[in-house]
Amino acid sequence: MKTMEENKDLQTPAAAEPQKPADAAAPAAKPAAADKPAAAAKPAAARPQPKPEVPGENEIKPRLVELSALHDEMKRMRDEEKMDFLELITGVDWGEEGLGCVYNLWSTETGRREYVKAVCADRDAAFIPTVSDLWTIADIYEREVFDFYGIRFLGHKDMRRVFLREDWVGYPMRKDDKPEEQNPLNMENEVLSDTTVEYNRDADGRITETEHVVFAPDDYMVNIGPQHPSTHGVLHFRVALEGERIKKMDPKLGYIHRGIEKLNESYTYPQTLALTDRMDYLGAMQSRHALCMAIEKAASIEVSDRVQVVRTIMDELQRIDSHILFFSCLCQDMGATTAFLYGFRDREKVLDIFEETCGGRLILNYNMIGGLAADIHPNFQKRVKEFIPYMRKNLKEYYDIFINNVIARNRLIGVGRLSLEQVVSGGCTGPSGRASGWHNDVRKRQPYAAYGKVDFKEIVRTEGDSYARLLCRMDEIEQSLSIIEQLIDNIPEGPFQTKTKPIIKVPAGTYYSCVEGSRGEFGVYLESKGDKSPYRLHYRSTGLPLVWIMDTACRGELIADMMAINGTLDYVVPDIDR
Amino acid sequence: MLDLASWTSAIHTWLLGLVPEWAAILLECVVVALLIITLYAVFAIVLIYMERKVCAFFQCRIGPNRVGKWGLLQVFSDVFKMLQKEIINMRKSDMFLHDLAPFLVVTASMLTFACLPWNKGGHIIDFNVGLFFMVAVSSIGVVGILLAGLGSNSKYPMIGSMRAGAQLISYEISIGITMLTIVALSGTMQISEIVQQQADNGWNIIRGHVPAVIAFLIYLIAGNAECNRGPFDLPEGESELTAGYHTEYSGMHFGFFYLAEYLNLFIAAGIATTLFLGGWAPLHIAGLDGFNAVMDAVPGAVWFIGKTFFVIFLLMWERWTFPRLRIDHILSLEWKYLMPISLINLLLMALVVVFGLGINV
Amino acid sequence: MEEMNYLQGLAAGLKTLGVGLKTTMREFFTKKITEQYPENRKELQMFDRFRGSLVMPHNEHNEHKCIACGLCMTNCPNGSITVTSQMVETEDGKKKKVLDKYIYDQGICMYCEVCVRVCPQNAITFDQSFENAVFDRQKLVKQLNHEGSKCEERKPVARPAAAPAAKPAVVKEAGKPAKAEDAEPKPKTED
Repeated sequence: MKTMEENKDLQTPAAAEPQKPADAAAPAAKPAAADKPAAAAKPAAARPQPKPEVPGENEIKPRLVELSALHDEMKRMRDEEKMDFLELITGVDWGEEGLGCVYNLWSTETGRREYVKAVCADRDAAFIPTVSDLWTIADIYEREVFDFYGIRFLGHKDMRRVFLREDWVGYPMRKDDKPEEQNPLNMENEVLSDTTVEYNRDADGRITETEHVVFAPDDYMVNIGPQHPSTHGVLHFRVALEGERIKKMDPKLGYIHRGIEKLNESYTYPQTLALTDRMDYLGAMQSRHALCMAIEKAASIEVSDRVQVVRTIMDELQRIDSHILFFSCLCQDMGATTAFLYGFRDREKVLDIFEETCGGRLILNYNMIGGLAADIHPNFQKRVKEFIPYMRKNLKEYYDIFINNVIARNRLIGVGRLSLEQVVSGGCTGPSGRASGWHNDVRKRQPYAAYGKVDFKEIVRTEGDSYARLLCRMDEIEQSLSIIEQLIDNIPEGPFQTKTKPIIKVPAGTYYSCVEGSRGEFGVYLESKGDKSPYRLHYRSTGLPLVWIMDTACRGELIADMMAINGTLDYVVPDIDR
Repeated sequence: MLDLASWTSAIHTWLLGLVPEWAAILLECVVVALLIITLYAVFAIVLIYMERKVCAFFQCRIGPNRVGKWGLLQVFSDVFKMLQKEIINMRKSDMFLHDLAPFLVVTASMLTFACLPWNKGGHIIDFNVGLFFMVAVSSIGVVGILLAGLGSNSKYPMIGSMRAGAQLISYEISIGITMLTIVALSGTMQISEIVQQQADNGWNIIRGHVPAVIAFLIYLIAGNAECNRGPFDLPEGESELTAGYHTEYSGMHFGFFYLAEYLNLFIAAGIATTLFLGGWAPLHIAGLDGFNAVMDAVPGAVWFIGKTFFVIFLLMWERWTFPRLRIDHILSLEWKYLMPISLINLLLMALVVVFGLGINV
Repeated sequence: MEEMNYLQGLAAGLKTLGVGLKTTMREFFTKKITEQYPENRKELQMFDRFRGSLVMPHNEHNEHKCIACGLCMTNCPNGSITVTSQMVETEDGKKKKVLDKYIYDQGICMYCEVCVRVCPQNAITFDQSFENAVFDRQKLVKQLNHEGSKCEERKPVARPAAAPAAKPAVVKEAGKPAKAEDAEPKPKTED
C-alpha cells in the first residue's frame, strides 16, 4: 500500500501540469459533453434523415501537399502548430491519380487534427520524402507503406520490408498487384539481410542509394522469436548483445500477417466486422466498436443511447480483461507463475460475462453496424455487479503477491524508461504512453459512446519506467470498475439495433474514427467510393508503435529487462500483423 | 534407537566368511551403489510429483490427476516418454563435451547425495572432513553446467551457463560460511558426528539459537540458489533464454538435468536437515519422557526424510511465490546481503561458542 | 542516506516477501477452481448464446425452413457454406427451387454469425455443441439438411417476432431469391 501512496504523490504534479493544455485542447468536445450529457455521447443522434448525401460526421478532407514541399510543411506543422502526434500514415492506391499517403496529425496541446495527403503520380518509381526524422513513429509507418505499396521514402534510413518476406515480389496492397501469381509457395528459408538501403534525390534529381549496416558481422546476435516464450505471439526480434546488455534490436514482423486490410477491400461492411475481433484479441470489443462507429458516423446511422451505454460497459470490461491478462503475462515473464494463474482465475469471470451476452469469450462478435448483435443477457447486470467487488478484492492480492514484491519492484523500477518526448514522437498511446506523462486518453480527449457522461480519471504518471506502466494499468482497472459501476444500473431503455438499410453503403469520402483500445488509440481509416465494400480500410494498430519503441526502450538494458519491457509495453501481435 | 552400523558390520563379517576381503568390499560397493541409484530415482519421482501437486495447490489448481489415481503415475509416464525420445546431436556442437555435461551434473549430485546421513549408522560416505567433501563434490555440477553451455555451441545455453557459473560460485561462499557456522558450533566436520551431537544435545537450530536461525535462513536462500530453482532459476531463465543451459538437450540427456535439479533440491533440504534440524535425531522435548520415548520409536530414516520433505515444502512455497531475480540482483543479493550477514553471523556464532551461550538440552 | 536505507530496505523487502508468502499460503487452502472436464459433462451447461456449430433445425416431420435462397452462402466471408438447389415442378406446374444439399464446412467457419443474421427464414442457427475435435478434417464438412427432409410449409405469419430488425430488410433486398420465396408458399397453402 505504501507504494501506491508514494506513486499518487508523484502523480499529482504531473497531472496538474499538462492538464491545462489538455483541457484547453478540446473546448469543442468537452463542454458539450458536460452540458447535455445525454446527447453528448453521440451528437449525430439529432440528425433526422440519414441521407447518403449528408457528409459523414467523421469525414476528413486531407489537404493535398506537393511532394517537394511535404517535408517542410510537416516540419512547420510540428514545430509551429504543435502537431506533436503523428497518429497514422495510411498508404493508398488511388489508381489513375497515383500512389500516396494520408498523414493524420493530432496535437496534444491544442487538440486540433490535421490531415495531409501526398500523392506520387509515377507508379513505377514512387518516391515521397520521409518524415521519419520528425516523428520516430514514421519510421515504421513508412516502412509499412513501402512494404505494401512500394512507395520509397527519400531520406528514410531503413527501406527494408517489414511484414513481408524480403524476397517478396510485388506490392500486394496495390490494386493492380497479383500477389498469388508472383509469389508461389516458397519453401526456402527466409534469409534476413544485415544491410539496408537509403534512397535520396541528389541535386540533379537522380535517385541515389546509400547502404547502411543493420548488424555488423561481429555483433553477438541472439534471435528472440519467432517462437519464444516471451514475445507474446509470433514476433521476431534480432538482438545484438554486448555481454548481457542489449546493443540494438531489430523487430521483424509479419509472421502471422493475414492481410486483413486487403481482405476488407473485397468484403461488404457487415463482413468486415468479423475480422476486427481477430486483430487485437484483447481489445476485440473496442476494435469492433471503432469500426462500427466509423461506419455508422460515415453512413449517418443513428445509434440508440442504450447501445452507447452497453458499448461503453463492454469496452471497459474488455479493458479489465486485457489489463488482467497483461498482469498475468508480465508475472509469467518475470517468473512468477503463481501470480500468472491468479490473473487467469479472475479473467475467467470477465470471459463468462462476455460469453453469456455475446456468445464468445475471445471472439466476441457483439457490436454491429447500428447497434449490437443481441440485447444484454438478463443475467448481465447481476453478474457484472457481482464481479466488481470480487475484482476489487482480488486486485489487492495482485499487489500482495507481485506488484509490491521487492523482487518485482527491483526488476521493474527504472527499467526501460521512456521520456515524454520519446513516447509522443513514437506514437505510444494508451497506458504505455500515459506512464510517461502523455495525456492521450481518447476517452477524455474526444469522448465517444457514453464516456462523456461518466466520471473517471485519466491515469497519468511521470516515471515512464516499466513499473509506472504496470501501475498505470492496475489503476485503470479501478477506473474501469468505477465507470462500469456508474453505468450498470443506468442502462437506458431503447432498441439494441437500429434498422439499417439492407446493403450498407458508405457515401464516397474519407473517414477516420478512433477509440481508446486496451493498449492505446485504435483508429479506423475508411476510404469509400460509395460501394458496399470499402475502398481502403486501414487500422491504426495499437501495438505497432509499442513494438517499435522497444529498440529505444531496451538499449543498454539487460536481456532479462527486455522481458520486463515488452511485458509492460503490452503489445498483442495479431494486432500488429493485421 | 536403531543403529544401522551393527547391521552393516554383521553383513560385512558374514561376507568375509564367504569370499576374500577385496571381493566382499567390491560386492558391498556395488550393492550400495545400486541402492543409491535406486533411491535417487525414487526420490526424483516423488519430488517431481510433489512439486507438481504443491505448485498446483498454490495456484488454485489440483495438479495432475489423470494418469493413475490422483495422477500418481504421471511422472512414470513422463519418464517413459522421455526414455523414448531421440537424443539429438547438433552438427556444430562439441559432441564430447555436450554428451559429457549431463553425466557430470548427475555424478556431482549423486556424490553429494551419498553424503547424507540417513539413519544412525546409515551413512555411506562418512569421514572426518565429510562436510568439506560434500561442498567440494557438489561444485562439480557447475562444471557440467558450464560444459553444457559451451558444448552446445548455441547462444541461449551459453548465456545461461555463464549466468549459472557466476551464480553458483557466488552462492557457494554463503553456503560455505553457513556450514562453517555449524562447524564452529559442533567442532567437527564429520557428518555423522554432527548429527550424533544433535541427537545427544538438541538440534543445532535450538542449540545455536539466534545465529543458527540466521544461518538456517541464509542456507535456505543460498541452497535454493545453488539448485538453480526459482526465484533463482535464471540460468534457465525460461522467459528470456527459453531453457538456458539445457536448451539443446533432448531425451534422457535432458532428463539427467531434470533429475539432477530435483535431487539437488532434496540434497539442499537434506543438508539443511542434517546441519540445523538434527538429521535423523528424533524430536525431544525436555521433561516429557513418555513423548520422547514415542518419538524414539520412530526410525531415524523416517525422521530424516520427514524433516527433509518439510524443508522441501518450504523451498517450494518460496519458489511458487516469488518472481525471478535478475542476474545483477542475484549477485548483489549474495555479495551485498547474504555474504556480509553470514560473516557477521559466523562471528556471532564464535562468540556463542566461546562464551558457552548455546542452549544444551 | 544510502547507509540508512540498507537495513530499512532489507526490512521492507523482507516484509513484502512475507506478504507474498502469506498470500500463496492462503490460496493453498482455498477451494481449487479447476474444472474436471469430461467428468463434469452432465453439469456443464453452455451459455445459450454460445456459438458451437451451425445447425439447421428440423421439426418432427423432418422439415426445415430453408428455401435455398443462398443468402448465407453469398454472405459468408470464408465461403464455408455451399447451398445446392434444384428446380422442381410443383403439381400445379409452377417451377420451384428446393434445397438439395446444405453443406457446411465447419473447419473454415469463423463463427461470425453473418449467415444466421442474413437468413430470411431463420432456417439456420448455432447450437451449443463444442466437442468438435476430429481426426480427419473431412469430418467437419457436414450436410445440415437431413436425408429426405423437405421445406416446411409456411403460413405467411411464420416469422418469429424475435428476429432482429435487420433481417426483414434483407429479404426484400435479396431480389430474385426472395421473390421466389414469396411466390413459393402460396401454391402450397392453396393445396
